[in-house]
Amino acid sequence: MKNKKQTQEALVLGIDTGGTYTDGVLLEYHSRTVLAAHKSLTTKRDFAIGIEKVIEGIQIQDPSSIQMVSISTTLATNAIAEGKGKRVALFLIGYDPELVASFQMERHFATPNFYYFAGGHDLFGQEKEPLDLTALLEKTSQLKSQVDAIAISSYFSPLNPEHETRAYNAISKVCDLPIVLGHQLSTKLGSVERATTAALNASLLSVLQDFIVAVRRAMEHRGIDAPLMVVRGDGTLMSDEFAARSPVETIHSGPAASAIGGRFLSHQDDALILDVGGTTTDLALIQGGNVTISETGASVSGYKTSVKAANLLSIGLGGDSHITVDRENNIVIGPERVVPLAYLAYQHPEIQNRLKALIQKTWPPPTPNWLEYWFLLRDPGDNLRAFSDREKTLIKILKAGPIAIPDLVKQVNALHKNQLGADELIRREIIGKAGLTPTDLLHIDGRHTPWDVKAAKYGLKLLSNHLHWEEPGLTEFIWTLSSELIAKAIIEFLTEKSIPPSSAHSPDLGLWFFRNSLYAEHPHLATQIHLQYPIIGIGAPADIMLQDVAKLLYTELILPDHYYVANAVGAIAGSVMVSEEILIYPHLSEAGMDVISYYVQARDGREEFEELTDALGHARKSGHDRVLSAALRSGADNPQVVVEEIADGIDSYRIRLQAVGNPRLSK
Amino acid sequence: MMELVRVDTQRAYAVIREKITTLELAPGAPVDEGKLALELDVGLVPVREAIKLLVHDHLIEAPSMGLFVAEVKIPELRQISEIRLLLECYCAQQAAKYATPDDLVVLEALCREQSQVPADEPRLLFDLDHKFHQAIAQAAHNKYLADILDDFFGLSQRLWFLALPHLEFLPTAVEKHLELVAAIKVQDEDRAEAIMRQHIQGFYDKVFEILQNLSPQ
Repeated sequence: MKNKKQTQEALVLGIDTGGTYTDGVLLEYHSRTVLAAHKSLTTKRDFAIGIEKVIEGIQIQDPSSIQMVSISTTLATNAIAEGKGKRVALFLIGYDPELVASFQMERHFATPNFYYFAGGHDLFGQEKEPLDLTALLEKTSQLKSQVDAIAISSYFSPLNPEHETRAYNAISKVCDLPIVLGHQLSTKLGSVERATTAALNASLLSVLQDFIVAVRRAMEHRGIDAPLMVVRGDGTLMSDEFAARSPVETIHSGPAASAIGGRFLSHQDDALILDVGGTTTDLALIQGGNVTISETGASVSGYKTSVKAANLLSIGLGGDSHITVDRENNIVIGPERVVPLAYLAYQHPEIQNRLKALIQKTWPPPTPNWLEYWFLLRDPGDNLRAFSDREKTLIKILKAGPIAIPDLVKQVNALHKNQLGADELIRREIIGKAGLTPTDLLHIDGRHTPWDVKAAKYGLKLLSNHLHWEEPGLTEFIWTLSSELIAKAIIEFLTEKSIPPSSAHSPDLGLWFFRNSLYAEHPHLATQIHLQYPIIGIGAPADIMLQDVAKLLYTELILPDHYYVANAVGAIAGSVMVSEEILIYPHLSEAGMDVISYYVQARDGREEFEELTDALGHARKSGHDRVLSAALRSGADNPQVVVEEIADGIDSYRIRLQAVGNPRLSK
Repeated sequence: MMELVRVDTQRAYAVIREKITTLELAPGAPVDEGKLALELDVGLVPVREAIKLLVHDHLIEAPSMGLFVAEVKIPELRQISEIRLLLECYCAQQAAKYATPDDLVVLEALCREQSQVPADEPRLLFDLDHKFHQAIAQAAHNKYLADILDDFFGLSQRLWFLALPHLEFLPTAVEKHLELVAAIKVQDEDRAEAIMRQHIQGFYDKVFEILQNLSPQ
């Protein structure tokens, strides 16, 4: 009996590496039951550490029974945001430098090293100008020791990639750097987005390769031998091998996985998914059972790409957002993420007494700056040669333990915390910050109390003294502010319009409407904003932070079982997908008046047909076979192919092919 | 699937192979699997897999006891040089016939880069020389020929490093490369073949001479 059960059970492991936490779930695939879950802090300097901790925490009895591991990761998004990608040379073939400059597009290429070369094609796939291969190779030999990868994008390459391919063939014979071609990542015609996508992909290649190897090593250490899948930005899955080649597709994979996990656990086909994490709250919309996809392509750190990704909005508000006051003593939540005071005091018990002493002090009254503590996240060791004198001083001071900002400022003889010169140490996760957060308020309320409740209480008391505001009212105001920020994000996300910053005397009708709908401020006019779908809450703070949001928008909050790890569930819930787009367009006569034949341009080759029907037929057939075999290779089980034909201008068509299947489990 | 063993094997193979071709692991030296595994920070399995591949490449010998870096033996060297001469001369001739304008741009770029590398950068020169010969093989537009030649390049790389301290003819090698590209450009098959013959013959003559002087007998 037991044996039979074992053969039917299919254990899969889902992991999500977010900005604050790495979550893992162990799931039985067929019955879709969550068997175990674990959370561990994300280690940004080496994601594999957090991943191994999660695998350890789940306490899998028989690791060899795991049949698939799937992972979503903010690695690509973070690497771009923090400028940690590799150095890339971007070769632009047939781009007009003046045109690019006139739209100030240079900043958007995601690398400062971009170069223009003669070549490129026109809207009809015909050569605009001969390719200047000599110049390309000269530039390559000049740069090859200064960059880590090369990206090439040629004008209208999706219609005719000949120049990209020729450049690739020649450059790969003179240097050993990895080379990324624009047309292999995007069939969209937008030339700047394609170039950006190619450059970002090139800069992320080794980052993601190292990550995948690290995950595989963590799996090996734990005795897990199973296929590894990676979540794309649209929530579908790809094999690890594919992900290592097109890392740019993992942008936004974390929020996409959350949305899919939320749908999976709640069984709702139409809903707004809100994932409240430690650092951010991410919004996504589920319609007809699917995550809605962004029309324009994923944006990251201000770079527009042509990568397909879920339509998302991310705001800097989460359980560990910093609660501070601005210069006018207005309360501000986020966007910076800090360690909650309760946690800091839990780790360093002396903090509790220091905070207690602070609130007993009457003159001079301590400012909220005294609630911000800095501490050493990790000891950089004794070899400090790589650091500046100021950095060495800071490290030395912090080695003695956490210290409040005003004390630290005094000790280094600075006037203001902006002069501390610690940006690099913070970025490298050597110095961490702690402060008052929503998580502390939860400790005070008694709703979530794993750490030092007293420290949280003292923190709030100090703020209350400073603002001359009684504690119950202050707490309520902070929660209301947080709900308002989220409600505002929901409305902006769904309307794609913006609400101006709150201010009591603004003449803006939109703002008035928004505030009046939330707070019924007007004596004569009543307004309401109804959200037509339920809100599905995901992430540990969702229970508390979303109840009021749902009320404000007259809808229901659904917290499915295991909602706090829905992101990790989403990493497994997606389907494996491989897609291709084939372009069919006419070959025109010299004069441009007659159609001589039709080109069928697929990712890796071009063919010519006299008749349109033959061209379309061939595109369907060859594309079908290619996506099917690619899906099988990527680990899809019994993939189904969907073919779509889209008219794309005069005599031009796009054949869109998608092969989708559930992931194939290993045994 | 990205198999760890495969990733590690590939890396181990590349590193050990480089150690052998650059003579860091000298001809005849014993090969210590455990030490290599520690040094490369990989398991024993990938190191063993990599060594199997290197045995297949004739760079490591596995007699009944132990593992050794293959010796450079004069009779075998003669065999290698004969085959290379045959294949590469044919290759040069075919390249003169089939090289595309893009191939020529590549060959010219490699020559230009070679002429700019200072003589005290042997690794760079070696790398460019290797790429040049590969580019000629590819310009012949016969993938089987290019594949076979790649194996022989691997066996010849060690000789390059053996001969290096005793060579003064590097500038002439660049000259020969330039002459060869010129012949391919004007599609002079016979001349291309003759230049390649001279070039390779000259190299092996020199290597034979050096090896004979080096060997104790």
